[in-house]
Amino acid sequence: MDDQELIGRVLAGDPSAERALYDAHVDRVFRLVYRMAGDLDRAQDYTQETFIRAFARLGEFRGEAALSTWLGSIAISIALNGLRKVRRLRDREVALDDVPPMGRMTPEAEPDLKVRLAQAIDRLPDGYRAVFVMHDVEGYTHEEIGTSLGVHPGTSKAQLFRARARLRDALADFAKE
Amino acid sequence: MLDDRLDDQLRDAAKDYNDPPETPREQIWARIVAERAEKTEKRPLRHLRPLRWAAGIAAVLALGIGLGRLSIDTTPPVTAPAPIATATTPRVSNAAYQVATAEHLSQSEAFLTLFRASVRQGGNEQLASATARQLLATNRLLLDSPAANDGKTRLLLQDLELVLAEIAQLSPQPRSRDLDLITEGLERGGVMSRLRTAVPSGPSTTQGAL
Repeated sequence: MDDQELIGRVLAGDPSAERALYDAHVDRVFRLVYRMAGDLDRAQDYTQETFIRAFARLGEFRGEAALSTWLGSIAISIALNGLRKVRRLRDREVALDDVPPMGRMTPEAEPDLKVRLAQAIDRLPDGYRAVFVMHDVEGYTHEEIGTSLGVHPGTSKAQLFRARARLRDALADFAKE
Repeated sequence: MLDDRLDDQLRDAAKDYNDPPETPREQIWARIVAERAEKTEKRPLRHLRPLRWAAGIAAVLALGIGLGRLSIDTTPPVTAPAPIATATTPRVSNAAYQVATAEHLSQSEAFLTLFRASVRQGGNEQLASATARQLLATNRLLLDSPAANDGKTRLLLQDLELVLAEIAQLSPQPRSRDLDLITEGLERGGVMSRLRTAVPSGPSTTQGAL
C-alpha cells in the first residue's frame, strides 16, 4: 500500500491504517530525533509528538513532498523546539546553582576522535547541527533537508559546508597527528 | 589533503554520533494512543469551554423570553386605555424583544465562529450539537414572538434556524461532507456577515442592534 492510499484510509478513520502509517515511518523519525536529542526519553517524547501532530494535520498534507519528508519536517521542528526549551532550562539551573562552567577538555584527556567529534557537533548552532545530522549522519538529501527546515537546498548546502568547517577547526589537532 | 583525510575521518566518526538504539515501537505507540485519548476527553472542557458558556447564556435567554412572552398582555383592556398607555406598552415590549434578539444573535455569532474553527481543528461536534439545540429553541421563541415584526430580523432568524437545525442534527461522528454542507450554508446565505452586522459591537444594548 502506498502512502497516498494509506493517508486516504487514515482520513477515512481507519485505525489500522494509522498504525500502518506509524510502522512505515517511525524508525526514520525516531532515528532523526534521537540523533538530535541524544537521549532516549526525549527521543520518545519527540517521536510521540511528531505522530500526534501528523495525525491531527494529515488532512493538510498536500503530497507536494514525500510523506517521509513531511514527517521529517514535523520531527525536526519538534526536536529543535524541545531542545531549545531544555537548553533554556539547563542554563537557568546552572545560573541558579552557580556551578562553574565545564572546562574545555584537552586532547590528551579526550583522545578519542568520536568523543571529541560528538562534543563538537553538540556545540554547533542548531541550524548547522540539524543539517549536518540530517545529511552526513542520516543521509537526507539537500532537497529533503530544505523542505524539512523550510530553507532552499542551496542554504542547506551552505550550512553543511560551514558546519564541516567548524568541526574541522574544532578537531584540527587530529589532522596533525 | 589534510582536510580531505580529516573529512573522511569525521564522516566515519559521525555515524556513531548519538547512535540510536532500536526503536521502542510498541512503547511509543502506546503513548500516542493514550495521549490522543486524553486529548479527546479534555477537548470539550478546554477547547469548547466558550460553547458551554454560550449554552448557559442561551438557556437563560430562552427562560427570559419565555417569561417575557407570558407577561405580554394580549387581552383587550376592560376599560378604555388612555392614549399614552397604548403608545407606551408596545414600545417597552419591543425594546425587551430587541435586547433579547441582540443577545441571541451575539451568542449565535460567537457559537458559529467557534463551530467553524472547531470543524477545522476536529472539534467535539456532540457538544456543538447540544449547544445548537439550545440556541435553536431560543431562535424559535424569538421567531414566534408577537414582537417579531421586523422583516430583516425575521429573515436572519429564519436563515439562522436552518443552520442551527443542521448542527443540532449532527450525528456524534459526522461525515466531513455534513460539516462541509453546514459551513457552505453559512457562507452561501451570508449568515455570518449578517450576524456580525446585526450584533452591536459594544456591551449589550439595543442601539443599532438590528
